[in-house]
Amino acid sequence: MDTNQYIPYQVRIADIIDEAPLVRTYRLEFTDPSANFTFKAGQFAEYGVFGEGESTFCIASSPTREGYIECTFRSSGRVTKALANCEINDIIGLRGPFGKAFPIEEWYGKDIVFITGGIGLPPLRCVIWNVLDQREKFGKVSIYYGARTVADLVYKEELENWKSRPDVDLFLTVDPGGETKDWKDNIGFVPTIIEQNLPSSKNAIAIVAGPPILIKMSMPILAKCGFANDKIFTTLENRMKCGVGKCGHCTVGKTYVCKDGPVFTYEEVLQMPQEY
Amino acid sequence: MKELQIKAAELLENGTVNLLIGFSEDLGKRPVPCFIETSAEANMLVFNQECKNNLSVYLHKKEVKDAVKIGLVANVATLRSVLQLLSENQLWSLTLTYLTVNGAGELVVLSSAEELEAYVQANFPTCRPEDQEMIDKLNAMSREERWAFWKDQLSECVKCYACRAVCPMCYCTVCTTECNQPQWIKTSAQTSGNFEYHTMRAMHLAGRCINCGECGRICPAGIPVHLLTAQMNQEMEKEFGGKTGWSLKGGYALNTFKPGDKENFIK
Amino acid sequence: MELKLISTSDIAVFVDGLLKAGKVVVAPVLKQSGKVFFKPVQSFAEVATDYIQTAFSAKEVVFPKVEELFTYQHNEDGSLDIKDQLDRIPETVVWGLRPCDAAGFDYLNKFFLQENPDAYFKARYDKTTLVTISCSKCDESCFCTSVDSHPGDTKGSDILLTAMDGKYYVEVMTEKGSLLITSNSTLFTSTDTLSKDAFLAKPVTHFAMEEIKDKIQNAYASVEWKQASMGCFSCGACAFACPTCTCFDIQDEGTQDHGKRVRCWDACGLSLFTKHSSGHNPRNTQTERRRQRLMHKFKYSVENLGVVSCVGCGRCIRVCPSHLNIFENILSVTK
Repeated sequence: MDTNQYIPYQVRIADIIDEAPLVRTYRLEFTDPSANFTFKAGQFAEYGVFGEGESTFCIASSPTREGYIECTFRSSGRVTKALANCEINDIIGLRGPFGKAFPIEEWYGKDIVFITGGIGLPPLRCVIWNVLDQREKFGKVSIYYGARTVADLVYKEELENWKSRPDVDLFLTVDPGGETKDWKDNIGFVPTIIEQNLPSSKNAIAIVAGPPILIKMSMPILAKCGFANDKIFTTLENRMKCGVGKCGHCTVGKTYVCKDGPVFTYEEVLQMPQEY
Repeated sequence: MKELQIKAAELLENGTVNLLIGFSEDLGKRPVPCFIETSAEANMLVFNQECKNNLSVYLHKKEVKDAVKIGLVANVATLRSVLQLLSENQLWSLTLTYLTVNGAGELVVLSSAEELEAYVQANFPTCRPEDQEMIDKLNAMSREERWAFWKDQLSECVKCYACRAVCPMCYCTVCTTECNQPQWIKTSAQTSGNFEYHTMRAMHLAGRCINCGECGRICPAGIPVHLLTAQMNQEMEKEFGGKTGWSLKGGYALNTFKPGDKENFIK
Repeated sequence: MELKLISTSDIAVFVDGLLKAGKVVVAPVLKQSGKVFFKPVQSFAEVATDYIQTAFSAKEVVFPKVEELFTYQHNEDGSLDIKDQLDRIPETVVWGLRPCDAAGFDYLNKFFLQENPDAYFKARYDKTTLVTISCSKCDESCFCTSVDSHPGDTKGSDILLTAMDGKYYVEVMTEKGSLLITSNSTLFTSTDTLSKDAFLAKPVTHFAMEEIKDKIQNAYASVEWKQASMGCFSCGACAFACPTCTCFDIQDEGTQDHGKRVRCWDACGLSLFTKHSSGHNPRNTQTERRRQRLMHKFKYSVENLGVVSCVGCGRCIRVCPSHLNIFENILSVTK
């Protein structure tokens, strides 16, 4: 298994959580107890429904929590629709972990700023859990997260948990018109909310993930706050198939998003041809 | 082809045409498609019997359509393709001028769809003798022999889709092969999937293929795929009458209904 | 390296001997269409000799156009069996490669094995011996001398044969090649170094690789890309004929109960290659896709693996329905 990267592990769906319309989280457990699957936050896997194909998502849980891994996905194409039709105890295939992880050890003692929106939260949740599970090792933790509507927010229960923690600053928002009658948090696009609550760049790292428009609008704000491009991290998504830098689908210039990424600093992203 | 070069330069100079698609020669003196935008480039144009590419296929490219006023150097098969495309309501955003050479070696300039139709009807090509010979041979085969013939040929197919790419009639923005919900046609190049693809294509071209023969000529694997569509088309003509690439008037057998249509397949 | 000679008339004996020993011999075969393809042969009599280049490369031997990754089967007890066939690869000899093809195998070796070694490629490559024949003829599509190679280059070959007046000069480059000679050692005699020059084709050199490697650094933004790709209509012919194109798709064929997962050739020129399921396509125009192909061959391969991945075989030029010419395009975008 460890020499042939195309043979998947067999994992059982242990739990299913409906996060938002078309968005689900699966908790997966390995059927082979000797699997010894280890990963780092930021790495991704290929999740496969036999007969339909494989789809790529980040591992949305943290290596600090053992015995299972989680993935969150939106049902949009052939494979994700087939995945969404699965039930508890179904076996699916998993290949991984692939890619470079976030260099979390280098961030000890620093403030961490998370900026994301909509379905961009799952790739960052692995880091958020990883940080919160070792909370004393880090400085201030700020999370800016929003979605189009209240229903589109993912990890709703956890958001409540983060909101209630005194050691986390959560800035939660929905797009104007996306609020419900009893919505108590912010209303406005994520970049607007960041402008209203500017993060300090002093001894800080920023991690941005999510829809391209969000990334595009957040970068100038971070620059204004003094974040250097090599202190801003992002995780790129591109069409992937093999996950190991061979099939060619995910290339951006000379870079393979699957094996040279998916985690990049903004500085590295700016040096690539803008074809992603 | 001095006359052609002079005319092309004139059309580009006076703005009748913004982009001219024609042939130039490569290092090996082989005609290759070329795309020129200035009158100065017109002196690279050539036109002879070796110019076989059906240049009308480029009329679907966004980069070409953006030019709107297009000049096309065409042999009569290409002109017939354009006529078929016009009858299918394609190319409506373009203003086309055609340059061709008639049987007497004279340059002919066609500036409207009506002129195009008249020229094509007056010079309507017949099936190439070597293709007709092969089609007759295939028709004379038993079903089993024909199956074995195509199985042998199509096992060589690598699914590069060059045949689809070079065909002016294959202009669907999303091809059946590109649909994966459901996966109608397997993407891998195995004989069964290759059969699926080529028979699907022959069906989609039935009543539309003008037998320019390009798909078979350019197939990198040397498969005479043009025979499938040409043979299919001869069947269509026998069953339903009409000729492809003959008239500006729309409609071909599989997309039109006439009350007098035979229903002898309903048993 | 060992240097040997074998008489022209003994070549057939050598190849038939390999077949008798149970090896699969893949060699150029002339088909009815007039094109030559690499196919398994049953005797030397089937091997084509008078041609310039085969239509497709021989990469299928180590990188098949459809390759089964594994089969899967759900059992009644709910368990799932997954099996690959890596142990069933036969000993294979590829006969009659051109030096450009062998250089292509050299690249494939680096690409598939240098990082994240590919188990399937390795299983096939380890069982394959490459026997190359120098080129005495070329046509205007050949340009190996522009990409740091030449018609008598030994790069990538296990054995290189050069035809010389009634005999073949045999350069045995590797252990694998040596084993092949040893199995029929009576046919070969030793020799000193001979000059191949008079027997080799002389393709035109269109550019110097070092100069291109330098100029291509700034070629991404060239305005010439649009004209260079006007004729391209997004088929995969060039990529599939190319000895060094390695992109592939992974597809499941079967039902959710049982079936197989295969990988099959794919091409960056095809319009769906980079399209996301959201509809976003990072390379949305043919210009961008053609640029990717050429930049990959002449710049990104160098940055990742230290070598240009174009070997100058000219197949892409010969198979392209629009006759797009890779070396002319490279010259125009690096002007």
